[in-house]
Amino acid sequence: MKKLYKPCSKLAVAITLLSLTSCQKYLEEYPSNALPAASAITDAGTARAAINGAYARVQSYYASSYPTLGTITTDNVVFNGTLSQYLQLDQNAVTPDNAITLDVYQSVYRAVNTANSIIAYVPEVKDPNLGATEKNTILGEAYFIRALGYFDLARGWGGVQLQLKPTINLDDLKGIKRSTLEQTYDQVLADLIKAEELLPEDAATRNRAQKSVARALRARLHLYRKQWAEAETYASQVIDNRKYSLVKPYKSFFTSPFLSQESVFELSFSINNRNSYWNLWYPSSLGGQYTLKPSATLITKLTNPNQGGSRSALLAGTGNNVYGVLYNTSSTSTDPAYLIRIAELYLIRAEARAQQNKLSQGLADLNTVRARADVPASTVATQTELLLAIEEENNLEFAFEAHRWFDLVRTARVGAVLGLTNTNYWVFPFPYQDVLSDPDLEQNLGY
Amino acid sequence: MNQLLVKNVLLLAGLLFFQPLFAQQRQIKGRVLTPDQEPLVGATVQVPGTQNATLTSTDGSFQLTLSSGSKILRISYIGYETQEVTLTSQTNLTVQLQPDSKVLNDVVITGYSTQNRKEIVGSVAKINGDDLKNIPAAAGFNQLLQGKLTGVQVNSNSGVPGGGITFRIRGNNSINASVDPLYVIDGVFVSNSEPIRTGMGQQQQSNPLADINPADIESIQVLKDANATAIYGSLGANGVVIVTTKRGRLNTKAKITANVSHGWSSAVKKFQSTTGPETATLVNESVRNSAIDRGVDPSTVTLPFPDPSTVPTYDRISDIFRVASTANYDLSAQGGSAQSTYFAGLSYTNQESIVKPSGFERYTLRFNYDNYLTSKLKLGNSINISRTYRNVSSNDNNPTGVINSAIFPRSYVPIYNEDGTYARAGSFDNHMALIKNLNNNAVGWRTIGNVFAELTILPELVLRSSWSVDNSDMYENNYSNTLIAAGIATKGSASSYETKNLILTNEQVLTYIKSFGEKHRINALIGNTFNTVRYEGTSAFGQNFASNDLTSIDVAATTTGSSSRNKNKLVSFFGKATYTYDGRFTFDASLRADASSKFGADRRWGYFPSGGFAWNAGNEAFLKNQNVLSDLKFRASWGLSGNQNGIGSYAAQGLWSSGFNYLDAAGIAPSQLENRRLTWETTRQIDIGTEFSFLQNRLSFVFDYYNKYTYDLLLNVPVPSRSGFTTYLQNYGAVRNKGVEFSFHSENVAGKDFRWSTDFNISFNRNRIEKLASDIAQGASGRNISILRQGYSVNSFQLYKQLYVDPQTGNAVYEDVNNDGIITSADRQIVGNALPKFSGGLTNTLSYKRFDLNFLFYFQQGNKIMSMHDFFLVHGGTQNFIGFIPRQLERWQNPGDVTDIPRLTTYSGNPTVNGGASNNYGGNVANQSSRYLLDGSFIRLRNVALNYNLPTSLVQKARLSSARVYVQGANLLTFTKFTGLDPEVSSQSNNQNTAGYDWATVPQPRTILVGLSLTL
Repeated sequence: MKKLYKPCSKLAVAITLLSLTSCQKYLEEYPSNALPAASAITDAGTARAAINGAYARVQSYYASSYPTLGTITTDNVVFNGTLSQYLQLDQNAVTPDNAITLDVYQSVYRAVNTANSIIAYVPEVKDPNLGATEKNTILGEAYFIRALGYFDLARGWGGVQLQLKPTINLDDLKGIKRSTLEQTYDQVLADLIKAEELLPEDAATRNRAQKSVARALRARLHLYRKQWAEAETYASQVIDNRKYSLVKPYKSFFTSPFLSQESVFELSFSINNRNSYWNLWYPSSLGGQYTLKPSATLITKLTNPNQGGSRSALLAGTGNNVYGVLYNTSSTSTDPAYLIRIAELYLIRAEARAQQNKLSQGLADLNTVRARADVPASTVATQTELLLAIEEENNLEFAFEAHRWFDLVRTARVGAVLGLTNTNYWVFPFPYQDVLSDPDLEQNLGY
Repeated sequence: MNQLLVKNVLLLAGLLFFQPLFAQQRQIKGRVLTPDQEPLVGATVQVPGTQNATLTSTDGSFQLTLSSGSKILRISYIGYETQEVTLTSQTNLTVQLQPDSKVLNDVVITGYSTQNRKEIVGSVAKINGDDLKNIPAAAGFNQLLQGKLTGVQVNSNSGVPGGGITFRIRGNNSINASVDPLYVIDGVFVSNSEPIRTGMGQQQQSNPLADINPADIESIQVLKDANATAIYGSLGANGVVIVTTKRGRLNTKAKITANVSHGWSSAVKKFQSTTGPETATLVNESVRNSAIDRGVDPSTVTLPFPDPSTVPTYDRISDIFRVASTANYDLSAQGGSAQSTYFAGLSYTNQESIVKPSGFERYTLRFNYDNYLTSKLKLGNSINISRTYRNVSSNDNNPTGVINSAIFPRSYVPIYNEDGTYARAGSFDNHMALIKNLNNNAVGWRTIGNVFAELTILPELVLRSSWSVDNSDMYENNYSNTLIAAGIATKGSASSYETKNLILTNEQVLTYIKSFGEKHRINALIGNTFNTVRYEGTSAFGQNFASNDLTSIDVAATTTGSSSRNKNKLVSFFGKATYTYDGRFTFDASLRADASSKFGADRRWGYFPSGGFAWNAGNEAFLKNQNVLSDLKFRASWGLSGNQNGIGSYAAQGLWSSGFNYLDAAGIAPSQLENRRLTWETTRQIDIGTEFSFLQNRLSFVFDYYNKYTYDLLLNVPVPSRSGFTTYLQNYGAVRNKGVEFSFHSENVAGKDFRWSTDFNISFNRNRIEKLASDIAQGASGRNISILRQGYSVNSFQLYKQLYVDPQTGNAVYEDVNNDGIITSADRQIVGNALPKFSGGLTNTLSYKRFDLNFLFYFQQGNKIMSMHDFFLVHGGTQNFIGFIPRQLERWQNPGDVTDIPRLTTYSGNPTVNGGASNNYGGNVANQSSRYLLDGSFIRLRNVALNYNLPTSLVQKARLSSARVYVQGANLLTFTKFTGLDPEVSSQSNNQNTAGYDWATVPQPRTILVGLSLTL
């Protein structure tokens, strides 16, 4: 015990001398699990660690919260638990203190801040171990992550406040108002263009950003912005990449080992970095909470060979206890988060082509996706019918992924399909604590 | 180091106090003895009014050189009546000192010193260990103080033995820093931080001070005002609880005491649920009403229960309760020889919880020993070693907790499947599976030890150096087998946590106590402290076991682990001086300087001065010659004290944390913004008090007013999420606590056979947040029902204020706060708070011959409780898997019904319409209605104790010195309007700002205990 105080032992004598300067050093303590912010990114090792950190931040909202926002809010998934944050989402009566929307909102900005730091500091790193190519890869990934973050915010909340610099002190935040939805999407586009330029492309990687991943997200962005021709172009670029193909049977993409040919971008989890989203889907007799339950209509559709086809593999259980098994690693909790699958690119192109009245080409893309699911080819004839068929295909193909809600909002079909006619509730509320602490933030109408 | 220090101090003392001696006149020798003719070591022998004094040596003898004019010798010793001996020509004296119980009671231990009560200028409450023995079934000594002292609010958070308690001295001073007092046990700063890591919802899992056996305690002093606490500087802002454990006395015969007691506890009220037919009726009604709200003809809707009367009922609630037993065994030995004293104690306690399967078990071993190496050097130690065992299970917001699994499932859902396996519904586990299979064990080892040396340099100058350790070690092993939900999917899942909290403290205190002439008295001290707090935690997890009989992580198929540690240091210097003039006026001043490693490099040091004044008017001449007023004292104090507890060890640093890994490669991400200016949270307190007594002290009163203003709050200020951070720790904001405290003690009857005394105390505290950057809302698992708002007190509840249920429509109508005609989140408002307006206690002690009876009423008034129990179980049908409590049956059914429970519906359209169906249970209001906020005031017969001392003749036949049998009862009566199980509850207690929730928590039990105490 005596040793502990050695640096300061002279001080005991110094009571009368009141010499306190040597205490300064005695009182310096640093953590063993964190780096000082000022010197966080200084070399190759920390630059690599920082980009991993940015992916980890994306994981934190894509593991469960973001897919929940895209599903329980619609007619595919119903609330079957106790936690009222899920009940609110199911009823489309979301309050500003809803824990799920809060989690997504905060996590996205954490990812954005990490990406901003990488964009600001990695170019300054002078380390022979960090070559120009790797530097570009890291930067490209950071731009992509920022683009993805703002895209995910924009389609959930509308135009948001654009933070493009790392937060060092809080005064830097002042005066940044919400941008419009178009401005937010412009920022996403700008970052995607940079990302595509900087990112590499190889034949195997599916769980980090690559040129094709940037292109795929760009195709989706153009679709959301109703820029049909560009959407078609970028979707085609990804579809034409032989790295990707629709896998058969349907369930193989969500069966371990993951990272199938289907996957354009997924976030991998492992034993040390778990994703226990299955827990919200599985009944308690199997160790889950069963908060999210496939709706009766979805069950009917998925089990219909002419609609769901082999996508019935998304369901398990019988009778009143049918549950979703897209996330199914109940013993290891290693399900990936599925962000972009090649099937989506087909449906993006189908919709973009249908909108441009290229009906037969659009129908062909739709039927490619249907064929993979062993569903008979569609024979719809008119543009309206084709668009509806694509909407329905999206619904079944991505039943438990972050799609349905955002698709219905994008096509302004929320009222018609879900009966939620008040457009105020087509966007989520900004978190209560942000409204309280941020004078620059204007709450969405109706909340 | 100590040697050096001693030399320096000696030199210093020599310079200050050296006086040339006059020519020797004569020598006097003698011995000082107790009435039992045992020598008294260390008694002061002094010529009054001079520096000429000495201490008695190990055989009680002394030798003193007297100057010619000396006529009187004064012999004094703590705990004995001071005696003055007139000197004659004799040169060998034998002096016998008489023990003085009154003096003992009047001595109060304040920061680092012992003072006579009359000379204290601050507000200090004291309770003797003996007064605590009448309370059964409380594991922690701090829990026993409920209703006993003014200015101290004590509440148990749940009825789980050894579970968390809320202990506040004069209110909540802080928001994010700690609001718990500093506990000092025999000079050791002890840790009160939660060591248990097994998740139990938002409940504070344990009371770390339950590691101490209350029977070992001699006295407890609670320092409340700034003058008393400022000497603890940075640690004292929330008040200080000083615990002194029993020690032996020199020259006393060994006293061996054995105490055995057994008790039985049961629930006063149990949870309730609606029967199967009632539940079915409610569900049907909700489905029908929802159809109407959606514009569907209700006759076309298929009802889930065509015939509710045939629906079965399964009782889960009776399964979880039991009559819990309690057993206590105590054995102690106390005594002393001429040079040394000892107290040794052993104890064993076993308490079951009234809700299965929790329990608490404790072994303690204490050894306090003092040895006079020479008449001037005393060496002593206090060691407490304890082992606790807790069988823990989660409460409140955990759907797989025992209580949740019993009260939430609908009562018509069977408990077992047809094949005999456990049935589960929705998110809930099966309560029987949990009771039989929960296997969460927490074993704590705690060593609180202190070794000190006390050197009497001069009779008036004492140097004490003390080295202390508080080492707590918690080892938790949890195993969820495949029969409970947590282990099903993983084929068994286990976790193991090892948590160490180590506090090392070294202190030097130099005390100078001296009288100059008859009228001047000085009590001064200087000292320093080095304090290191170290936390270390390791955890391991394993999943997938070959069999339910294999529970150790090393045989799991997949294993993961982690560890973390942190450390912080504190360096302090302090000084204090008290000057008393003529026993009438006392002036007191102190200053402490502290530096903490937690703060920003620029702002580490904090300085905490205090001052006070007392006027003992009772000693004034004009009050001398009357018989009514026996004592009268006025006192006032002012001071600052600081707070750094409750914030992280590295709170001021800008950090990127590691562990944000991806693809099993190491990752880092920003986690904390730097604040170089982070510094002490400071509390400024004024205290004005008066103490007076009448009729030879048979009736005495104490009255205090205080006003505490805490500024530079260590506040986690919420920042916009777009920064990438959610909060920023800043010195911002202020909280005020002001209040009055009143207590009286009355010896109603003081006859030879019959004695009756009454103690009453009441404390009013008003808490108000004076300054806050913006509202901070939290609590109820993200529902933000608790709010911190400038101008209101902490622990306020914000809800939608329900005005009434429209008798025509059956829909709830809420107050439209901003008058915009719609109900949005802007219409939430503060509708009450969890802090009582006042609380207090009334104790009566009656004794008749060999019997004595003691009973205590505790009361608190004005606090509200948010019943999450009602919130979840009065849901109008919106929750498909959750049953109902009988309160749901009071719902509106037909036009004209007047009730506060609205019409059942699950309709969610148009959530902004006030008085619309969707806001009944859902909508924007989302069931956060003030109808679930209940009055938590109560008066309770906290304990009754009847003691019978066996007749001396009988006792002596058994060769004992005394024997006592007793019966005690706890919580026998409770008067309250609260409709939950028990109003003394706080389910979200791991956050001090979310007090006052009732959420599937074990209620306070009613306990009867019988015991026998024998002294040899």
